[in-house]
Amino acid sequence: MLRMTQTSTVLSIFILFLHTTFGESGCTSADGDGTFGDDEPDNFDIDCFSQLEFRDSYSSLTCNFTEPPPHNTNYTLALCTKEDSNYVCFNMEKQEDAYFLQFTDILSNKDICMDSEMKKRVCRSLVVTDIVKPEVPFDINITYQKEANEYLIHYSTPHSWKKYLKDKLIHQIAYRQEEGTWKTIESPYLQVKLLGKNLENDASYEVKVRSQPNGDYFKGMWSEWSTSKSFRTTREQHSTESSSSVVVVIFSILGFMLSIVMIVLIVTFWENRIKPAVWPNLPDHKKTLEQLCKKPKNNFDISFNPESFGYVHIHKVDGIRAKAELENFLQPSTAPETNIPEKFRSGSDQKMIPAMTDKSKLNLPVTYGGIWPAEALHRLLGTSQLAVTEGNCSSSTYEVCHSNGVPLCDDAFNLSSAPPPDPSHQPRPEPLNGDTASQMLPTSEMRSPNNEEAYVTMSSFYKIQ
Amino acid sequence: NSAFFRSIFRVLPLLLVLSPVNSSSCAMGNRTTEIRVKYENILSHDIDELVNMSAEYRDRCCKNKKHENSKVFFCNDTQEIESLQGMACNMLRFFHKQKISKSFRWKAALVSCGTLQLLQCKCERHKKEK
Repeated sequence: MLRMTQTSTVLSIFILFLHTTFGESGCTSADGDGTFGDDEPDNFDIDCFSQLEFRDSYSSLTCNFTEPPPHNTNYTLALCTKEDSNYVCFNMEKQEDAYFLQFTDILSNKDICMDSEMKKRVCRSLVVTDIVKPEVPFDINITYQKEANEYLIHYSTPHSWKKYLKDKLIHQIAYRQEEGTWKTIESPYLQVKLLGKNLENDASYEVKVRSQPNGDYFKGMWSEWSTSKSFRTTREQHSTESSSSVVVVIFSILGFMLSIVMIVLIVTFWENRIKPAVWPNLPDHKKTLEQLCKKPKNNFDISFNPESFGYVHIHKVDGIRAKAELENFLQPSTAPETNIPEKFRSGSDQKMIPAMTDKSKLNLPVTYGGIWPAEALHRLLGTSQLAVTEGNCSSSTYEVCHSNGVPLCDDAFNLSSAPPPDPSHQPRPEPLNGDTASQMLPTSEMRSPNNEEAYVTMSSFYKIQ
Repeated sequence: NSAFFRSIFRVLPLLLVLSPVNSSSCAMGNRTTEIRVKYENILSHDIDELVNMSAEYRDRCCKNKKHENSKVFFCNDTQEIESLQGMACNMLRFFHKQKISKSFRWKAALVSCGTLQLLQCKCERHKKEK
């Protein structure tokens, strides 16, 4: 029994020693799980970058030594992954001075391990999504927008049709003027604009682009620069602006001068033309009459004051009757004998006829309506006296009256009592009004009760004319 | 006799300690944030590609399969990781079907392996092509 107990104890201790010695994976490591995270790095300086979706679904890893390894030493780089309690490593392919490897899994945490003949394997952890180097942009196009005076720079990237980095890149655009200093612009989009006013006119510029992960889960470094693209700025940028400014100045000057001219014209013609047209004055009878009628000659009297006609021999018009005489007077072409009433065909006919004849040949020298020369007026008064007939008086405007407005027509009017008129007689001296009025008063009593009075108006003179 | 049983009791606990404890094929721990971030930025794009490729095989699959077979892709509540593990492992089985195109099978394997890697799970007796 004692022997069995001792045997079982030794066996259990041995098994326990083996368990702690070998571990689960069976690989030697400080962690005991096969990984080399806690192993001391042994001068292991390499730079690596990954390229996602390098070819179809494959991603790539490229590493190179920052310090060249000593000669005559073979080094091997391997990418190791822990899978299902196993540590699987894949050796990287050496290409000139770099090591290259394609793989598909970018989710798991990996280790980069270096093997050499002289040293033991040394590993270092590696997160593939933190060392991403995007592919180079391409197809740079520069378009000039004349209206906005801007240069639109458009470029493309292969990640636009891939999965992981499609909208997770930031682009840097560098431009310079003919061996000048590079200026950079960063944008998350695939196009940027350069303002024309910030560029020199008629100059040559060079543009190039590169990309980098924006830090949203994927991190990494700048890609290589794209091939440069050159373009030349236009000459018309400044001239267009200057011509437009000149046109504006010219139009402003013309507008100012036109406004001054308008003000001067308004001030000059305000009283004479503008104001009468906008606010016309009330018509003045005298002025209107002067505008309608012609100006009389200097030797014409146009006063309505009877006293100014003192030199004019005024005959009474008591004997005037015939309306026909008046018609003959108005129609000088017709035969005056036909219109002469039978009553007048007496001894005074011969006198009348010459008067009528004279009247027919009379060219009334009226220059403008209504105003008669003194001689013509005298003749008119003489003929009119014989032309008035009894009982044929009316309120005709052609009946000539005395200047004092004594009515002409009267039934008891007797022409025979009146002296025959003499066309060439001398005018009587003044006064006539008062004597005439006193003489005419009894005559007025003898007149017919026809109270229609005839007045001479300027319109009648105008019509006679 | 008492000494014999005492020795046995000393060994048994050692055997229990030494025996491999592997009741779950997935790693323990709360890795919800890490799983979500990796899914949104990487695995979701692969799943979208697989869905687009499977469009031409949609009718063919539904005609030949019965509905009770859809239990292999059923997601149980509070057992999301186990359900995803089951779906990924079942999808790996399709990798060996000859009637499906090679590109589709390759994409299905990629998604399955990516899911298992993300969940840090493994399938029971599965084979993966590299």
